[in-house]
Amino acid sequence: MKTLLLRLEPVIWLLFGAGILLGTLLLPGYLLAVTLGAPLGLLPDGAMSYERAYTLASHPIGRVLLLALIALPLWKGAHHVRALLADWLGHGPDPVIGSLLYAIAAAGSLAGIYAVLTL
Amino acid sequence: MARASHPQAMTPHRPGSTRTAPPQVPDTFWSQPRMRTYLLFDATGIPYLVLGLIVLRVAVALGRGPEAWQELMRDFSNPLYLVFHAIALISVIFVGVRFFRLFPKAQPARLGPIKPPPRPVIHAGLYAAWIAVTLALLVVLGGLWP
Repeated sequence: MKTLLLRLEPVIWLLFGAGILLGTLLLPGYLLAVTLGAPLGLLPDGAMSYERAYTLASHPIGRVLLLALIALPLWKGAHHVRALLADWLGHGPDPVIGSLLYAIAAAGSLAGIYAVLTL
Repeated sequence: MARASHPQAMTPHRPGSTRTAPPQVPDTFWSQPRMRTYLLFDATGIPYLVLGLIVLRVAVALGRGPEAWQELMRDFSNPLYLVFHAIALISVIFVGVRFFRLFPKAQPARLGPIKPPPRPVIHAGLYAAWIAVTLALLVVLGGLWP
C-alpha cells in the first residue's frame, strides 16, 4: 500500500496542487454567493432559483466549474488531512489513513463527474 | 514522552563515525509558533474536504429537481451550515494568503529559455486573478449577469 501511494505521488500532488491553487481561486466567490449570500437573503430575488441555478450549472462552462468545485477541494483536503494526521499520529498508520482519504477523494470525484454529466 | 519521528527523514547516505540517537519529536512540537501556523494550514484540509462533499450534494440536488434544490437551500439557512461555511471562507482566505506568498518562491529560476517574472509581479498577479475570479463568480451567481 505504501509503495502504491509512492507510485501515485505525482498524480496526487498534481491534484493537490490544482486543489490548493485553483480551488482557492474559485471557492470565495461560490461561498459568498451560494452558501452565505443566498441563505442570508443578500442576493436579488430569483438569483438562486432552481431554474437559474440549473441553467448556469448545465452550461458546459458551468459543468466544468461545478466539477472543479467538487474534486479540487476534495484532493486538497485529503492530502492536507493526511499530512496533519501524520504529524499527530506518526508515520505508522499513514499508509492506511492516506489510502482511505484518497479513496474518499477519488470516489467523490467520480461521483462528481457522474453528477455533472447527468445534469 | 517524546516519540520517534520519521525514521528515514534524516538518515545520512553512509553511517557516520559518531553514534547518534534516533530522531525524536518533542511532545510540545505543536506549540512552536511556526509549527502551529503550519498545522493550522494543514487543518484547513478538513473544511476543504467537507466542502467538496457539500458541493457534490449541490450537483446531486440540481440533478434531482426543484424540490431537492429547495430542500438544499433550506438546509443552507440552518445556523450549523452557515457557521461551517463562514469557517470554510476564513480557511480559504487563510490558505490563499499563505499559499500565494509561498508560490512565487517555489518557481524554478529558469524554465529552458524562459525566466519567470519577478516574485512581486507573480504575487500581485495571483491576487489580481483571485479578485477577478471572485468578482466574476459573484456577478454571475449573485444574479447580476446574465
